[in-house]
Amino acid sequence: MKPATLKILGKPSSINVRKVLWACEEIGRPFVLEEPALGSAEFRPLNPNGLMPVIVDGDFVLWESNTIIRYLANDAAAENLLPSDARARALVETWIDWQATEFNTAWRYAFQALVRKSPPHQNKADIAASVRDWTKAVAIVDGQLRRSNRFIAGPAFTLADIPIGLSINRWFMTPIENRPSFPAVRAYYERLSERPGFMLHGRNGIP
Amino acid sequence: MLKILGRKTSVNVQKAMWTVGELGLPHERADLGGEFGGLDTPEYIALNPNRLVPTLDDGGFTLWESNTIIRYLSRTYGHGTLAPADPHAYARAEAWMDWSLTSLYADVILTCFIQHVRVTAKDRDVAAVAAAAKRAGEKLGILDAQLASRQFVMGGQLTIADIAVGTLMYRYFNLPVARPSLPNVEAWYARLTQRPAYQAHVMIDFKPMMVAGA
Repeated sequence: MKPATLKILGKPSSINVRKVLWACEEIGRPFVLEEPALGSAEFRPLNPNGLMPVIVDGDFVLWESNTIIRYLANDAAAENLLPSDARARALVETWIDWQATEFNTAWRYAFQALVRKSPPHQNKADIAASVRDWTKAVAIVDGQLRRSNRFIAGPAFTLADIPIGLSINRWFMTPIENRPSFPAVRAYYERLSERPGFMLHGRNGIP
Repeated sequence: MLKILGRKTSVNVQKAMWTVGELGLPHERADLGGEFGGLDTPEYIALNPNRLVPTLDDGGFTLWESNTIIRYLSRTYGHGTLAPADPHAYARAEAWMDWSLTSLYADVILTCFIQHVRVTAKDRDVAAVAAAAKRAGEKLGILDAQLASRQFVMGGQLTIADIAVGTLMYRYFNLPVARPSLPNVEAWYARLTQRPAYQAHVMIDFKPMMVAGA
């Protein structure tokens, strides 16, 4: 028998941990958040990758943030977030995967340079290339929002809006020169802001 | 009939094709992307706004993102085989699929493969390739531990976890990069190479893709 309270391991400032925290708010799953040291004897056996978040749900341990939020929605039978119909589910999953494959890859260098101020990431041409790729990805979100009407996978909020919404928050919170305006993305950002989970774990001042 | 849009030399098309092959599903494939082009037409962008391959068409239902495609195919046509029936096992298989994207893909494909195949020897960023190969070797050490007591990533049978990670392995083991000793990964890869669907759809010589001077 698993406990009602989920244990989440990770730093609340990490974008990948924030996906899990926001998902718990949307699902209504109680949780406790712990921040073990990455190399600690307590943490290491839970995730051989040494990365967070990790969840502990009774005796079930799981890592990889996008997998965790799919598991939690599925476990709660949250049909509105992740439908059980294979086709409807796949259309939600596409945008969750795309966040990992394209969106996150695009901003990596620029984010390190402009937010983390990382010394090895200060090459101007590489920053410009990353901002260009990032802008292209946001343009894809903008186009999709125009077609899907309101949320990333359709007219209603789904699990895909969690990784995409956090990524859009990062876009607006990063100091980008001459940031192009994407009206549908801006309206989406404000629409997400009506959700308490997003204000707590997404649009909370952290890029 | 299932239709897969995408050139057979794309590693992401190969994931979808291997899945279709394992499931024995009747299908056809259309060459798109790379030298075939066709990704910037309004018709294609309407199917796949990300303008990459593959795109799946299952009787008019269209879908993109290769890992999403293989999860969809396995849930629809391979429940209990390629898609583990137990929800915990399914979630663990998904974790390894995500791991292939977050931990391996950039180093193995975007750096090692692209630098060796799409960049001339003169322009190759040798230091970046060496660093990427080192990271990939370390990450595969984690998979090596997982495979110590298992025939396949999840246990005794092939699942979507093997497909997502295993598709990258043909390139990893056939590129001239430094590899650490990974006995369990090597034995697993050898098992994959015995499968007809892997041979047909993944073991596709990439030398013809190399640019002149690569």
